[in-house]
Amino acid sequence: MNKWLIPAVTVSLVLAGCSSVPRGSIPVVEGGSSISSGQASATSDYPAATPQVQALPEDSGVVVMVPGGGTTTPIQSFPAGNAPLDTSTSSQPWSATPPATQGGYAAPAPSGIPSGGLAMDEQLDGPVLALLTTAQQQQGGGDLNGAASSLERAQRIAPREPQVLYRLAEVRLAQGDAAQAEQFARRGLSYASGRPALQASLWNLIAQARERQGDAAGAAQAREQARVSL
Amino acid sequence: MRPWLGWALKLSLVGLVVLAVFAVYLDAVVQEKFSGKRWTVPAKVYARPLELFVGQKLAKDDFLKELDALGYRRENAVAGPGGVSVAGNNIELHSRGFQFYESTEPAQRVRVRFSGDYVAGLTQAGGGNLAVARLEPLLIGGLYPAHQEDRVLIKLDQVPPYLVETLVAIEDREFFNHFGVSPKGIARAVWINATAGQLRQGGSTLTQQLVKNFYLTNERSLSRKATEAMMAVLLELHYDKKDILEAYLNEVFLGQDGQRAVHGFGLASQYFFSQPLSELKLDQVALLVGMVKGPTYYNPRRNPERALERRNLVLDVLAEQGVASVEEVEAAKQKPLGITRRGSLADSSFPAFLDLVKRQLREDYQEQDLTEEGLRIFTSFDPILQLKAESALADTLKRLSGRKGVDQVEAGMVVTSPESGEVQAIIGSRQPRFAGFNRALDAVRPIGSLIKPAIYLTALERPSQYTLTSLLEDQPFSIKGANGQVWSPQNYDRKAHGTIYLYQGLVNSYNLSTAKLGLEIGVPDVLKTLNRLGVEQEWPAYPSMLLGAGGLSPMNVANMYQTLANGGFNTPLRSIRNVLTADGQPLKRYPFQIQQRFDSGAIYLLQNAMQRTMSEGTGRSVYSQLPRSLALAGKTGTSNDSRDSWFAGFGQDVLAVVWLGRDDNGPTPLTGATGALQVWTDFMRKADPLPLDMPVPDNVVQAWIDATSGQGTDPSCPNAVQMPYIRGSQPVAGPACGIQAPVNEVMDWVRGWLD
Repeated sequence: MNKWLIPAVTVSLVLAGCSSVPRGSIPVVEGGSSISSGQASATSDYPAATPQVQALPEDSGVVVMVPGGGTTTPIQSFPAGNAPLDTSTSSQPWSATPPATQGGYAAPAPSGIPSGGLAMDEQLDGPVLALLTTAQQQQGGGDLNGAASSLERAQRIAPREPQVLYRLAEVRLAQGDAAQAEQFARRGLSYASGRPALQASLWNLIAQARERQGDAAGAAQAREQARVSL
Repeated sequence: MRPWLGWALKLSLVGLVVLAVFAVYLDAVVQEKFSGKRWTVPAKVYARPLELFVGQKLAKDDFLKELDALGYRRENAVAGPGGVSVAGNNIELHSRGFQFYESTEPAQRVRVRFSGDYVAGLTQAGGGNLAVARLEPLLIGGLYPAHQEDRVLIKLDQVPPYLVETLVAIEDREFFNHFGVSPKGIARAVWINATAGQLRQGGSTLTQQLVKNFYLTNERSLSRKATEAMMAVLLELHYDKKDILEAYLNEVFLGQDGQRAVHGFGLASQYFFSQPLSELKLDQVALLVGMVKGPTYYNPRRNPERALERRNLVLDVLAEQGVASVEEVEAAKQKPLGITRRGSLADSSFPAFLDLVKRQLREDYQEQDLTEEGLRIFTSFDPILQLKAESALADTLKRLSGRKGVDQVEAGMVVTSPESGEVQAIIGSRQPRFAGFNRALDAVRPIGSLIKPAIYLTALERPSQYTLTSLLEDQPFSIKGANGQVWSPQNYDRKAHGTIYLYQGLVNSYNLSTAKLGLEIGVPDVLKTLNRLGVEQEWPAYPSMLLGAGGLSPMNVANMYQTLANGGFNTPLRSIRNVLTADGQPLKRYPFQIQQRFDSGAIYLLQNAMQRTMSEGTGRSVYSQLPRSLALAGKTGTSNDSRDSWFAGFGQDVLAVVWLGRDDNGPTPLTGATGALQVWTDFMRKADPLPLDMPVPDNVVQAWIDATSGQGTDPSCPNAVQMPYIRGSQPVAGPACGIQAPVNEVMDWVRGWLD
């Protein structure tokens, strides 16, 4: 436990330090959601990564990272756990797991960007990214129905994108529908093969959803799955 | 003298008092209705908005069809909202903007570039990239109350140039000067009526016309006329010209559409031009204003010559009075009527889909809320897919019409998106324009072999007992039921096929081996699987159920196959996304819900077998029309004596269920393969789905087996085919063949050389 906790906590502290909570967001739900400016500022601290930064026209102040060419490190657009909620799991996706355990997938860039060894397909398309951003803003403003609706719109455009399903699960959880949150996370897992960090996040979300449903044993199992995913 | 004078005085005093009391009463009536909610507005039902983004699968022709339906004007250079210009594969348009549940889509100039059947570029006219944009949704219907008045409410600042001027010039020149009644007009009317000896003409002002429509009956009498005049004066006393004009624009009757009365310029504009009122040009304004005099007589769809003449007359008056310049008028007179064509997307009705929407809404709302509150219902209806389904059905029935008995065949069809569980198109009859018996929802018919995937799925969920290559006996057998009746199923070709692989029973739809498998597993377990797939019917656990004796509607079947198509996740089918109130407040959402009902590994194996049904089994005729590279999965179904011809199948993003059969349940000349599958194939050719591509679940492995023995083998061996298995249930891999030898030789040679 301690071995991975130290780097993990360090990374999450660094992240917490350089991320600014988006305006109007609910910290408990938002956690370390990475479409927020937190991701942008986190990456900008590392000169090795040079993704193109493009402010979407409809954005009000939130800078959205659009991955550039194939050489840049892809951006994770799913939240990396929920640090304020549970420190024991929050930093797992960020933990410095040795590349060797990641079974042939793209090794993390040496820049130290907490990409968790995501494959290149972690990049999101323009429309999905735009809609996730809109949903993020709606959720931040307390409009959970609007956020869910925007996410369903994204799901229709990219039905097999697990990050959309992850966000849907997250919003359902915030709406108090833990059972549906778990289902969406499970659906996300079926499309998340080869994306260990995302799998871990999805399992963590399942764990939370099970806890809410009073299934402590199931939650512990999901946490274990989250751990082995990485 | 004196008594006469006294009486007269008293009488007139009494008269005055009576009149005053009556005026006070009328005043109350006038104010009560005018200050309250003036109109009830039926709920409006919208299709899905067309989304635009780079990489979207969308044919340019389909896109233009949708734009036409939305009343976009083809222009050389886009001049404003509702305009579109087409240059080869580049389309520029100015969208109108629309308020949706999630957010408001702005009106904006958008450039769309097509490449093949995909959107290759999406930019703002200014040059900036646009991630995603939505067109406004097509209005596909409304929910009308008994009196069936319909309107699209408009505000005075939404009216196009010339509308008010034209209306005043034609109907009431003194409108802005009189006090509700025009003495000049009355004098003229009295003169005409007196000379004619009967009541023929009213010298009505716009205010009086409004009062007549708003408060009074259609009766023509002097007393009503007097009441109307008093009310008009009272109305003008309380409200200003602007309010009265706005009310008039929304109230005036402009046409009859079957049972529905078209009221107001807002709806008339949609009804005749498929355009929002604000976009109408001079010629269109003149036509609508001209119609006020006689909406039926001047109906431009029924009496186009009369309507054209009337429009040009109105235009002449405008030139005469200086409302518009002579040049403008002459240019406007050159234009055709420009009424949307009957049968086009803009002027079509989709009764089967609306029926589904209404059933859902009636579960959640009072009838009155639906017909009066102006709710906006956003659905998943895809007009492009609907038209493709309709033409696939019509084309196929035409092609099959040579066969005896096909003329009596009816149809039901459901198209859904397997990944979202949304219903996109519905056909309830072979004449899809006519409302009536909705077979897609209400024709509950034996599903025949459509049930078989449920049997095989039940087996494949037990990997320790069954794999795709387990051996089955396809041999005749009989069993005695509890009631003493003997059940002896038969194959369609009345032959037995001996020992076969499990998947072959499904792929070739053999009844003997399938029924045997079902009995081995147990009928109750198969029925449980059906329930988990989403079938709600409770059927008795008779062996005949294994061959599809139970009845389902096409909609029920779509629900069942949805779970198979969506990786084992059940999604209740939805047709409504959300509802807004008349003033745009979110009212209700019908959220996307999923539930995992089956292990994805078992579903993967079943989909593999259902794909083989298409490539080598009962569905193989599909690939005479579609490319082999298009992976599809499906199942035919035929009930006894070909009374029901079914096909249910899916690609990655489209699922369709087709039923053909007779309403009187008589035999047809069509099996599932020769009937419903033909409609399905033609539809898929038009809909152009993505190939089925289910991600391989973690617990599935691909193994090489010998096609003849079913034993494990090596890819280097002859007859080696790949088959998916649940991990642990695959046969042990066999030794390599042939190719290994030369490798060994090389190794020997290397070794020898090293030595």
